[in-house]
Amino acid sequence: METVFTQYAWLIPLFPLAAFILLTSFGRSFKGLGVMVGSAASLASLVLALLVLFERMGEGVEDYQDGFKWLDLSTIQLNIGFEVTNLSALMLVIVTIVSLLVNVYSAGYMKSDERITVFYGYIALFTFSMLGLVLADNMLALYIFWELVGVCSFLLVGFWYQKPEARAAAKKAFIVTRIGDAGLLIAILLLFWYMPNHALDFVNIQNVFNEQTGTIAAGITTLIALLIFVGAVGKSGQFPLHVWLPDAMEGPTPISALIHAATMVAAGVYLVARTFDIFQASQAAMDVVAYVGAFTAIFAATIGVAQNDIKRILAFSTVSQLGYMMMALGLGSLTGGIFHLFTHAFFKALLFLGAGSVIHAVHTQNIHEMGGLGSRMRITAWTFGIGALALSGIPPLSGFWSKDAILNTALHENPVLFGVGVVAAFFTAFYMSRLFFLVFAGRPKGEKQAHDSSWTMTLPLIILAVLAVVTGFVETPWNNTLGTWLSGGTETTHTGGGLVMVISAAVGVLGIYLGWLMYVKGTIARDAVSSRMPWLLRLLERKYYIDELYQVVFVRGLRGLGLLLQAMDDFIIDGIVRCVGGAAVLLGRGGTRLQNGQVQTYGVITLLGLVILIVAIAGRRFW
Amino acid sequence: MLADIPILSLITFSPLIGILVLLLLPKQNSRWLKVTAVTATLIPLALSLWLYADFDGTLGGKPYKESVTWVNAALNKETMPDIASYLFKFQYQMGIDGISLPLLLLTTIVAVMAALASVHVKKRWKAFYLWFLLLEIGMLGVFMARDVFLFFIFFELTLIPMFFLIGIWGFGGREKAANRFLIYNGIGSALMLLAFVMLVMTAGFRVDQVDQQTQHVYYSGSYEVIKDNLTDPDSFVNAAPESPLHMSDTMRWSIFILLLIAFGIKLPIFPFHTWMLRVHAEAHPAIVMIHSGVLLKMGAYGLLRFGVFLFPSQMRDWATVLAILGVINILYGAVLAFRQKEFKLVLAYSSISHMGIVLLGIASLNEIGLQGAMIQLVSHGLISALLFLIVGSLQERTGTTELGELGGLARSLPFMSGILLTAGMASLGLPGLSGFIGEFLSLLGLFDSMRVLTAVAVLGVILTAVYVLRSVLAITFGPMPERFGALRDARLVEAVPMIALLAFIILIGVYPSVLTEPMKHGFDALLQQLNVKVGG
Repeated sequence: METVFTQYAWLIPLFPLAAFILLTSFGRSFKGLGVMVGSAASLASLVLALLVLFERMGEGVEDYQDGFKWLDLSTIQLNIGFEVTNLSALMLVIVTIVSLLVNVYSAGYMKSDERITVFYGYIALFTFSMLGLVLADNMLALYIFWELVGVCSFLLVGFWYQKPEARAAAKKAFIVTRIGDAGLLIAILLLFWYMPNHALDFVNIQNVFNEQTGTIAAGITTLIALLIFVGAVGKSGQFPLHVWLPDAMEGPTPISALIHAATMVAAGVYLVARTFDIFQASQAAMDVVAYVGAFTAIFAATIGVAQNDIKRILAFSTVSQLGYMMMALGLGSLTGGIFHLFTHAFFKALLFLGAGSVIHAVHTQNIHEMGGLGSRMRITAWTFGIGALALSGIPPLSGFWSKDAILNTALHENPVLFGVGVVAAFFTAFYMSRLFFLVFAGRPKGEKQAHDSSWTMTLPLIILAVLAVVTGFVETPWNNTLGTWLSGGTETTHTGGGLVMVISAAVGVLGIYLGWLMYVKGTIARDAVSSRMPWLLRLLERKYYIDELYQVVFVRGLRGLGLLLQAMDDFIIDGIVRCVGGAAVLLGRGGTRLQNGQVQTYGVITLLGLVILIVAIAGRRFW
Repeated sequence: MLADIPILSLITFSPLIGILVLLLLPKQNSRWLKVTAVTATLIPLALSLWLYADFDGTLGGKPYKESVTWVNAALNKETMPDIASYLFKFQYQMGIDGISLPLLLLTTIVAVMAALASVHVKKRWKAFYLWFLLLEIGMLGVFMARDVFLFFIFFELTLIPMFFLIGIWGFGGREKAANRFLIYNGIGSALMLLAFVMLVMTAGFRVDQVDQQTQHVYYSGSYEVIKDNLTDPDSFVNAAPESPLHMSDTMRWSIFILLLIAFGIKLPIFPFHTWMLRVHAEAHPAIVMIHSGVLLKMGAYGLLRFGVFLFPSQMRDWATVLAILGVINILYGAVLAFRQKEFKLVLAYSSISHMGIVLLGIASLNEIGLQGAMIQLVSHGLISALLFLIVGSLQERTGTTELGELGGLARSLPFMSGILLTAGMASLGLPGLSGFIGEFLSLLGLFDSMRVLTAVAVLGVILTAVYVLRSVLAITFGPMPERFGALRDARLVEAVPMIALLAFIILIGVYPSVLTEPMKHGFDALLQQLNVKVGG
């Protein structure tokens, strides 16, 4: 089929880029510019992305790729280009929708911030980078944008730069993800030298690894896959590199919704999906992905139960849900992983924006200081409730369908991981109901008259709530659209039938019921567990002491090493230099002393020389 | 048409115009002295840009060659009565190729920016700018001289002005730093001179056959003569060991190692780095721009020009050694940069770390890595010039660059803080900025032959992020001390060079072909030779 818009997909990232340049150059003089320019650019990108998506829904649409020579050495050349596939078209739409809504929302949320144009500039730069990442047609181009989204995340986490916490969080976000990036970089180096013709583009990668021709040895394949996964682990906050994501909540809440829930953190999942053929060529790598994902899912869900900061609970929830996606990919279900990415983007953005609306109204992030907001902030409460139900996997909301797809796969492939997934789903439902009831139910606390915000903040909530309801229907037992479209019809989800659905819905309801009993009804005391096992609560509150561990091992380790090397630099290396310098000076002084003009000295030296000469000559004779 | 005029000499000596005008100006008139100096540095910039536009990568620098016989010292010809002349020939020979050109441009660009940054100089402007322009002549000459002795002269010509520039206009410990600088570089120069003499007396030998009877025999310092002799398998130095003119392996290795140490001090390679720490900390920031931006690059350039091009097989045998030194430089510099409390010392150790990447690129001995090393040189030159430009402006306002005393400057100096943050990002290798290209290509090139070492070097990527963010955020983020509330952001004369340098950094980062195109064929002959040697 002839395409009209697809070949112009490269324009999609350029709108936000133009917005960024415009805002950075002139933003300071025009305060009101940010909202208009940022939103307009996102809107333009969204329109084009939707056109591309619709075009790709037609029958028999080929993937479209185009690019240019970026770096031309005489022996090799590196290209930069874009490729539109069904997967990337879907991602484009996700990114542009959330970006647009966050742009609109921020008009209200950031209204009183004097650096609002800078904020909009950063968001535009992020949107550009994220869209570039999605469109990239090869590993190098992807890596470039991968780093750029990282730096945007850094800038936005540290947006309120005067707060020491924000500075620390921004630094941590950048450095921890960079550990992952180093892995990804080595993977690219390996690919470059092992791929035929040094090809780095996804089409060739797909061909080479798909054919199982043994072009690349199995060990190397596993190594490449694992190193790529290290990159994904960093970006998507998987264990053990998850530590940055909860701290990243120091950034403004709209950013948490856009970057740290819906788009950038999902980039790791997208990366694995994009290079899925490499992973599929190595069972070992797939297993690692699945187990790391599953572990992260349950690990983060349990932490979420014991947190008291509304944004941190959501952050651990994000970590946990990303773990679900990774687990799906590791179990071989591309559709499951991407489907969950798709639904999660909307309901998690919704939850964050809702949380933002609450924070905006009550000026605290501690859920124990909130309460009874349901009657005062009706729109926020309703939409947040929808998001929470979607996340908890209550049918027929979107999260239910995507979680069901993953659990189905797990049941088929690995019953243990299925069990982990179910337990994690229970915890998810529990912490969400705890959060919801503490914030919106009960008696109001605080004297402030909290109320819903202006339309710029509530409209995005409503739109996202609608999306959180409907997006699940693209892939149901009766309608296999997404799976067929993404994987070309080779993959079916929801094969487990009713059983998995019943279990998944049941644990969701159970989790919510438990939360209701504890936090509304009071049938079970809130400290039922913590009073009996205080160490458990502390362990969860302290997030299993992972941060403390890293602090001791890495930060102190590096400091210690620095101390050691500094001592070496100051005393040994510089010491030798000083010795050499000193020796030269001594030699000079010695020479000066010899030529002091005193005849006696000269005489002594002459005599001494003569004696040495005689001894030397005589010695040689008799040798 | 550029080929018809002695463009290389014009570029090299164009700062002389400025020197002459400066000499005529009264020494109290700081304004006019500054204007003159900045204008004087614009001339070589314009000329070198013209040369860049005219340069054709496929031709290399052939059209621009300049050569004049300078010294003809007669040698004792009695031992060889049947030849027409027996001379020691020392030529004024200038040339350019894909390796010189990027560094030439770097020099002219950084010189302009440093001249602009010198607005903060408080005393003896006339002497300052005279030394400054003299220094520029030396730097330009180094990259274009094609005779080993001419190279040596230009190389030395950079030392003396630098000595005074550090010693007179620096901070508290300036005199000690200047002495250190001179002694250390003096040792380097002595070793280099020794190596050059050894080179000329072995590989510099040449016989020109005019006709059957007339033979001109001479020792030449010409780089081309030496290179031809060393690299041509049929030349007499490569003849059978019985031949009197045969050059032994010992001789080759001795010269190679002498050169490695001589240029290693300049680069600097661990453990020869301590001298440059003082210079970074004590010299005037405008001078450090030159020092870190250009002078360190002369070490790498010398290593490439004389080490790699003249002794490819020695280089190949020692590639691993060089790569290990590179990795040490990277990690050692990064860990120590993380520890420093003084921002200038952070940048000094950071330079050591970044020069390690250059060593990696050179050690790869393939086109990707060598190009990467070149780009890294230019990129680091621009980035460290920009960083020290900011340091100068900061010091001017806050009176300190101790990390512990600074903080929150993004509030009172948003523009400068933004530039500082971007420069930091460039330094840690953010894609889209020039640092990434050099780093990536160097690593990519080295990975072909040394996988594990490259992987270890990638750790440096993480550590760089750690120390750059630590120091930059300590300055710009966090709560701002009260006393910095009234600081004024960059003036126009400061903002212009900042934006210009950043523009170059972005240009190379986004479109690296601006650098790789002219360099494209710069390594052809070398690579061919390395391949032949590998095959044979």
